[in-house]
Amino acid sequence: MTTRRAPLAGIRVADFTWVWAGPHCTQQLAHLGAEVIRVESATRPCVTRLLPPFAEFKPGLNRSGYFNQYNQGKKSITLDLKQPAAIEVARRLCAASDVVVENFAAGVMDRMGLGWERLHAAKPDLIMISLSGYGAWGPDRDKVSYGPAQVPLSGLSSLTGYRGHPPMHVGVSYGDPTAGLHGAFAVLAALWHRARTGAGQYIDLSQWETSIAVLGDAIIGESIGAPPPARDGNRVPHMAPHGVFRALGEDRWIALAAPDDAAWARLAAVLGRPELATDPRFATLDQRKANEEELEALVTAWTESRAAEDAVAVLQDAGVPAHVAATNRDLAEDPHLEARQAFTRFPHPEVGTRQHIGPPWRMSASPPGVTRPAPCLGADTTDVLRDVCGYAADEIEALRAAGALS
Amino acid sequence: MSEAPGPLAGIRVLELGGEVAAPYAAKLFADLGADVVKIESPDGDPARRRGPFVGGRPDPETSGLFLYLNANKRGITLDLTSAPARAAFDRLVAGADVLIHGAHPLDRDAQGLSWERLAAINPRLVMASIAPFGGSGPHAAWRAVDLVSWSAGGLATLNGDPNHPELPPLKAYGDQAGYQGGLNAAIASLAALLERAASGLGQHIDVSLQECVANILELTFEWFPYAGLVASRLGAKPIQPLCFMECRDGWIFICCVEEHQWRQFVELMGSPDWAGLELFENRLARGKNFDALQIFLQEWCREQSVADLYEAAQRRRIPFAPVSTLGDLLASPHLTARGFFATLELPGVGAYRMPGAPYHLSATPWRLRRPAPRLGEHTDEVLAEAATASGGPR
Repeated sequence: MTTRRAPLAGIRVADFTWVWAGPHCTQQLAHLGAEVIRVESATRPCVTRLLPPFAEFKPGLNRSGYFNQYNQGKKSITLDLKQPAAIEVARRLCAASDVVVENFAAGVMDRMGLGWERLHAAKPDLIMISLSGYGAWGPDRDKVSYGPAQVPLSGLSSLTGYRGHPPMHVGVSYGDPTAGLHGAFAVLAALWHRARTGAGQYIDLSQWETSIAVLGDAIIGESIGAPPPARDGNRVPHMAPHGVFRALGEDRWIALAAPDDAAWARLAAVLGRPELATDPRFATLDQRKANEEELEALVTAWTESRAAEDAVAVLQDAGVPAHVAATNRDLAEDPHLEARQAFTRFPHPEVGTRQHIGPPWRMSASPPGVTRPAPCLGADTTDVLRDVCGYAADEIEALRAAGALS
Repeated sequence: MSEAPGPLAGIRVLELGGEVAAPYAAKLFADLGADVVKIESPDGDPARRRGPFVGGRPDPETSGLFLYLNANKRGITLDLTSAPARAAFDRLVAGADVLIHGAHPLDRDAQGLSWERLAAINPRLVMASIAPFGGSGPHAAWRAVDLVSWSAGGLATLNGDPNHPELPPLKAYGDQAGYQGGLNAAIASLAALLERAASGLGQHIDVSLQECVANILELTFEWFPYAGLVASRLGAKPIQPLCFMECRDGWIFICCVEEHQWRQFVELMGSPDWAGLELFENRLARGKNFDALQIFLQEWCREQSVADLYEAAQRRRIPFAPVSTLGDLLASPHLTARGFFATLELPGVGAYRMPGAPYHLSATPWRLRRPAPRLGEHTDEVLAEAATASGGPR
C-alpha cells in the first residue's frame, strides 16, 4: 500500500494577494497541500486582519475570524516592499516558488519590479497569475475595483432583487470567491501543462469576466434580444412553488421547491391538501405559475405554524426538496456537517481552537492539505528567509535592522 | 475556432450530469482542451428545457443555458439502466481519466456509479460525485434544487432588505450553488490527476453543494464561533456609503470604503454643505446615520448619468461601478477589446453570443472548438472509438 500525499504536496506558492479574491485562490491551493507563503506588510496589514469578527470582540491583527477563515494552513512573512532589499527578498522567494499569485491593481507588481517578465526570466518554468478587477490589459485596466462592486458591475445585481424593488446585492462580495476559484483551476491547468512540457506561463484573470462567466444563460438571452430576466424574488420560470417561506419563530425561514408535477403532488399531500395536485389552478407548471401568489399563500399557511427544522424533516421524508434557510449558527451547529467533517479546528496561539469551514470536498485517498490554522502576522519570516530564500542568520538580522522585514 | 491545443489536451473526461454543477465542472476542462464526452439520458439534460431559447420558442437544441454550459464537448445518449448501455459506459470508463457526475446518492447504484465498481474497471480513474449534501452524513439522502442548496449553505439569509423584514431571504440570480459546485469539483478533480502522476492511482472525490456555498460566506460564518453572534440580512451595514443609487438613466453602486474615497466623492459632488455635518464625519458615523445620508445622496445622484458619474469617480480613484445591464456588458468597449464574448451560429436558427475566456493563459489559451452537441450527436462516433480502443486504461 503506497502512502498517498496531498495533491499539491511539494508545490510552493508565493502569495502576494490580499482581501478575499486572491486569498480564496491560494486557500484552494493550500487545501490541496501546497506550501502557501503569504507576503504581508506589518505597516499596512491585510484589510481582513482589521475587520471583525474578532475573538471575544477583542481586536487584534491575529484575532480576526475573516482572516483566519481564508488563510488556513498558509505561512506569513512580512516585507516592506517599498525597500529595495525587501524586493530582493521577494524576488528570491518567487525564484524558489512554483507559482506566484497576486491580486493588486493591474501594473502594481510591474512597478515594484516584480512583474512577469522579470520573474519569468529568473525562473523559466514559473507560473504566475494576476487576479485584477478588470484584467491586465484593455481600456478599463486602470479602473479601481473593490469586491462589493463586482456584483453590480457583472450584471448580477440587475438580475437580483424583489419584484418591483431596486437591484440588490447578493449578501457577500460574490465576485471575489468566484474569481479565486477560477484562478485556482487555471493555476492547476498550468501546473498540468508544466508537468508535461516543462514550461511555465502567465495567467491574466479579470474578476469582471469571471463574474460574468456565471451568467452565461442571461448573456445569451440578451444577445438574441430576449427580454432580460425580471427581478422576481426567489421565483424562477421553470418551477413553482420555488421560494423561501416563513416558519414559526423569529425570522426563521424554509427554502423549498417542487421541481416537477410529481413533486408538487407530494408537496400538496404534505400540506394536507392532496386534491390540489389535480386542481386546475395548480396541476401543471403553467397553471402554478399563473396562480403563484395563491400557491405561495397555501405553502406559507402550512410553514408559518411549524418549526423550520420539523417542517423540513416532514418535507424531505416526502421527497420534497427543502432546507432551513440556514444562519451561520445553524451551520455551526449542524450535525450533518459535523458528521461529514466539514469543519476544521486547529489550535491557534491567540484565539485558541476555533471552528472554521474546511474544503467542500473529501478525497478518498489524499489526506487534507491543511494541518494548521491561519498564521499570525509575520510568524514565518525568519524560517522562510533562511530555508526558502537562502539568507544567513546575520543577513536576516541586517534586513530586520534596516526595517525591510516589516 | 482554433486548433491550438489547450493545456489539458489529452485528458479524457466523462460528464454525467444535468443543469449546472457537473456540466460547469466539465466545461472548465473542455475549454482548456480536454476531450469531454457528455453522457445524457435519452430525454436529455434538463437544462435543454430551460430558456432562453435562441430560436425564441422551446426547443431542446436551442436552450441558452445548455448551449453555454456544453460548448467544446461531444455528446452521447445512454440509458444507464439498460445492460448494453451499461457495458458501453464501462468501456468508456476504462479509457477515461476523469468522471464527473451529479447523480444523487440514492440514484447512483441504479446507474452503476458505485465507486468500488468503477475503480475496479479503471484504478486510474478520478471520479467526482457532486450532491446537494454530499455522499455521506445524516442528510445525504435529502433532495435539493439550487435555491435549497444556496439556502442550506447559509447565503440566502445574508441577503435582504433591512427596511422590509417581512420579505424573505433572497437568492441571487441563476443556479449559483451549481456554479460553485462545478468550480470546486473541477479544482479537486484536476488536483487528483496531478496526484495520480505520483501514485499512479485515481481516487473518489465527494463534493457537497451545501459546503461549497458555506465556503463563501465572507466574514459572516465566523461571527458565531468567534463572538457568539448570528449574522442577519436585517442588520445595518457598519460602513457607508456602500449602496445602490438611482441616477437619471439607471443605477450605480456607490462605494466608499476608505476615508480618502469619501473625501474625493464629496469634492466630486461640489462639496455640498450637508457633507460637512458631524453626522457624516467618518465611515462609521455615515453607517449609523445612513437614513439621512441616503436622502442627500439620492437627491444628488438622481441628476447624474451613470456613465459620467462612474468615469468621474474612477478618475478620482473611487471604486464606483455601474449596475450593469446585460446590454451594457455586451456593448462594453473593454470587454470587446479583450475579446471576451464569443459569437456562435446555430444553423438555420441564428447567431448568439456568450461569455468566453474567463482567464488568459499566455502559453495555452482558452479556445472555442465546437458548439454544444445536439442530443446524441456523437453517440455513434464515441461508442465506435471505445469499441476499437486497445482496451483498458492507458
